[in-house]
Amino acid sequence: MSESASSHDSPPAPTIAGDSQTTAANESDTNAKCQTAIQSLSSIVTTTTIPSTISLLLDDSAVSAAISSLLQRPDSGSGDNNLCRWLYDTFQSTEPSLHLLVLRFVPLIAGLYLSRVPLRQPQAGFEAVLLALYAHETTSRADQAVTVNIPDLSHPSIYHESKGPAKNNSTCLNIAVVSSTLDPHGTIRESTRRARIVGVALELYYSEIARMPRESKLDFCGACEKWAGQNGETRAGVVPEEEESVAVARSEKDGGRIPLPWELVQPMMRILGHCLMGMKVEDREVKEAASKACQSLYLRALHDINPKAILAAGSLLRLREMALDPKNQIDHTEISNDNVLSV
Amino acid sequence: MLENQSKELSENREDEITRQLCANGLFMKTTEVEAKLDEGNIQEAESSLREGLSLNSEEARALLGRLEYQRGNLEGALRLFEGIDLQAEIQRLQASAPPPEKPVTKKNRPREPQQQPVPQHAASLVLEAIYLKAKSLQKLGRTTEAARECKSVLDSVEKIFQQGISDAQVDTRLQETVSHAVELLPALFKDSGDYQEAISAYRRALLSQWNLDNDSCARIQKDFAVFLLHSGVEASPPSLASQVEGSYTPRNNLEEAILLLMILIKKFNSGKAKWDPSVIEHLTFALSLCSQTSVVAKQLEEVMPGVFTRVERWNSLALCYSAAGQTSAAVNLLRKSLHKHEQPDDLVALLLAAKLCSEEPSLAAEGAGYAERGVKNAQGMDEHLKGVGLRMLGLCLGKQAKVPTSDFERSRLQSESLKALDGAIAFEHNNPDLIFELGVQYAEQRNLKAASRYAKEFIDATGGSVLKGWRFLALVLSAQQRFSEAEVVTDAALDETAKWDQGPLLRLKAKLKISQSNPTEAVETYRYLLALVQAQRKSFGPLRTLSQMEQDRVNEFEVWHGLAYLYSSLSHWNDVEVCRMWEGRKEFKPALAAFLDGLLLDESSVPCKVAVGALLCERGKEYQPTLPVARSLLSDALRIDPTNRKAWYYLGMVHKHDGRIADATDCFQAASMLEESDPIESFSTIL
Repeated sequence: MSESASSHDSPPAPTIAGDSQTTAANESDTNAKCQTAIQSLSSIVTTTTIPSTISLLLDDSAVSAAISSLLQRPDSGSGDNNLCRWLYDTFQSTEPSLHLLVLRFVPLIAGLYLSRVPLRQPQAGFEAVLLALYAHETTSRADQAVTVNIPDLSHPSIYHESKGPAKNNSTCLNIAVVSSTLDPHGTIRESTRRARIVGVALELYYSEIARMPRESKLDFCGACEKWAGQNGETRAGVVPEEEESVAVARSEKDGGRIPLPWELVQPMMRILGHCLMGMKVEDREVKEAASKACQSLYLRALHDINPKAILAAGSLLRLREMALDPKNQIDHTEISNDNVLSV
Repeated sequence: MLENQSKELSENREDEITRQLCANGLFMKTTEVEAKLDEGNIQEAESSLREGLSLNSEEARALLGRLEYQRGNLEGALRLFEGIDLQAEIQRLQASAPPPEKPVTKKNRPREPQQQPVPQHAASLVLEAIYLKAKSLQKLGRTTEAARECKSVLDSVEKIFQQGISDAQVDTRLQETVSHAVELLPALFKDSGDYQEAISAYRRALLSQWNLDNDSCARIQKDFAVFLLHSGVEASPPSLASQVEGSYTPRNNLEEAILLLMILIKKFNSGKAKWDPSVIEHLTFALSLCSQTSVVAKQLEEVMPGVFTRVERWNSLALCYSAAGQTSAAVNLLRKSLHKHEQPDDLVALLLAAKLCSEEPSLAAEGAGYAERGVKNAQGMDEHLKGVGLRMLGLCLGKQAKVPTSDFERSRLQSESLKALDGAIAFEHNNPDLIFELGVQYAEQRNLKAASRYAKEFIDATGGSVLKGWRFLALVLSAQQRFSEAEVVTDAALDETAKWDQGPLLRLKAKLKISQSNPTEAVETYRYLLALVQAQRKSFGPLRTLSQMEQDRVNEFEVWHGLAYLYSSLSHWNDVEVCRMWEGRKEFKPALAAFLDGLLLDESSVPCKVAVGALLCERGKEYQPTLPVARSLLSDALRIDPTNRKAWYYLGMVHKHDGRIADATDCFQAASMLEESDPIESFSTIL
């Protein structure tokens, strides 16, 4: 999570390098875990060669594409699915780089899982993976809600002075809950907690979003659109490019619409915000996909008359519009272009 | 003096496109040297400048570099800047700077006007050259190198001006370079992917003394806030050195971003910086993520007039207030913005107003009006919202039907409500919420077959993930007197629900047990529920929210109420069994007290009225004076909920005790008709 749980006010201390023996032992342990993961993956993904190290595997788009297409098969979420088992085992290994490997597929898994719920397919495989993520977050948050203080400007801060009386850091502040305390859940069979469990998986995904490949973000934007279920509906500002194809595909796409409680909408908005405004490299395709997803969610929020979602999605859309406006693309660090150059 | 001259000159020659080089009071056309530069004769260009403008070699190269940069010849500019030994120049300048004193902090640094004058002109020349080198590298896509150069500008400034920069002692040209470099550095680190460096560059820009003008400071604050909000990289808390005792230090990205954005809004409001519309949008986004829309509202209210039109402002405020649960504030604002002299056709405002009014019986009629206007205005691009308008119309009419009116009016409203909802489903056949509402509306009209069909459809569509769907189905089954099936559904729902959320289901289960004449198990269930509710009360701090439960939480009183009800019904049977009469009597008083407490808490609570009425009526057999009270309570309850079977029954009893046999018969008839379709809890409790 990007916000510290309220119990940890300071970031965890960096692991102290022990004697070289333990370090070496840890390293070999890590390597062994990674090798096991790679080996078992190669028995599942047979269409392409699996790179020999995890760092290569993370960036290998051919393997990711192969895994994605396996995940998209109709029976992919079942309990005896090899790939789900692999994802589950890989995440359980507690190896950070292996975690990233699993998180990369969260958008796809969450997207398929929630949209398939009404179809009453067995999805124990997906559920196991999502629950593993949820359990991981539950442990690492240690029964604390994720909160932020809403500052009161009448007290001074590091960025501003104020005549008001100086107060202690956290007294008299308005505390807002970003993500409420997690209750441990044994099973996802408690379907009324489904949205929360998937929401927490998305929160975890967001916490590593800067390290996720663009394809994963595109998967996410696709999932958002499907969940919103507002295809073919337009509003001023959206270009109805594919009106006909939408009409044809409508009945098929209808299936994806799911209830969107805030516990899902909130992490979705944060991820979309990153795709629109936080990416390292300017990526038009991701931005456009995110902006389409945002548009769909805005329309959905209107249909649900959900004021909080209308505010959040509306703000993102207006910010996107402002960013596209050439008026706002001035480089303020450019020197003045005088006709007289002097020393 | 020099500047004045050049200014005049540039004004005189505005029409001409030819640029001029100027130094030491001498002028030269750029075309003369440009030709030489284009031929690659840097040496010659340099020497002609040195002669023409009487410059030294460094100055000439710096000027040529700037010329090349402005012409967009970045490689050439880089070559020229690399030809100057900038580091040596800086060291020379540092030597002339005063000896280092104690480290500078941002605030309250001692003002010492007496300082050895730094050769500003030379400093300006060198720093600008390095800055332009950084810009050239940036434009060539070599951001890492650019960041290094740009950083060296700032490092040098800190070394040369050890006491920070203040207005009095710096020339504008130098200040401009410094300000540019301060703003450019974090952007360069960001582009090169060095996020932690970017964060420290932002903080360095904002926490050290650079004498930035308000607008560029505002830009940096905004960029940093956006970076914190969206980069997905967690910034470590600001260094201890920058923390001032007693001042607020944010702990994480979201806090720091919100702080910066709020400071920006404050600056805009006080006129210290130019209004930037994106800032309020970023703040709205950040605060809605924390569900703090009432803070957004406060910020919007403080925004200077003239930034938004009043209707814009009202509508945004209404969204904020309604998201914060302040319905009546939101409705009041929407009334203003939907007034016929403002923007009566704004679709989003109309729909929001209708939605808010649909939650409150006394506003339902007004809401129906908004919804109708919404339906009318959902045209063209917005046609897809027609279904939403119809849905809101249906909800408002359904709610309106609950306001005491004539029976005729009530059934008219109910059937119109159904018609509207049916119309809505043609637009939104895949909207589970609509399916649910349609089901409830059918149930209210005791069309239980249709209601149970929709209840099942809703559970399917939501995959059982919404608790109210399960409850609704159980209620419909109970109304059909299929209690054991209702219990099966309730048990299934309990399986699907985490412990903490099971309250309403347990309550339902207890009532089902009672209906099946199983009071012992009912008491058992109630006890379990009571334990749960009490545990919740103890462990739920303000930080724990129950997502689906918020409107739906079982309060402790309700459980006591249920238990009291149970005991009082047991006492009813005890009446028959004379041997246990005393035991039953003993429980009359606590039961009555519990219900009266309930009435005090919620004076329009129908179940409480009925319960008190019933108890008084029972008692009235021996103690006549309580009967009029019972009668008025029961009539009152029926005015609010005319389908309350128990109320009819006990009203009948009151009439009977009073000797009005004909009235009593009517009441019993109504009660017996309703009994065949009475749910175990009122349908309106779940919508």
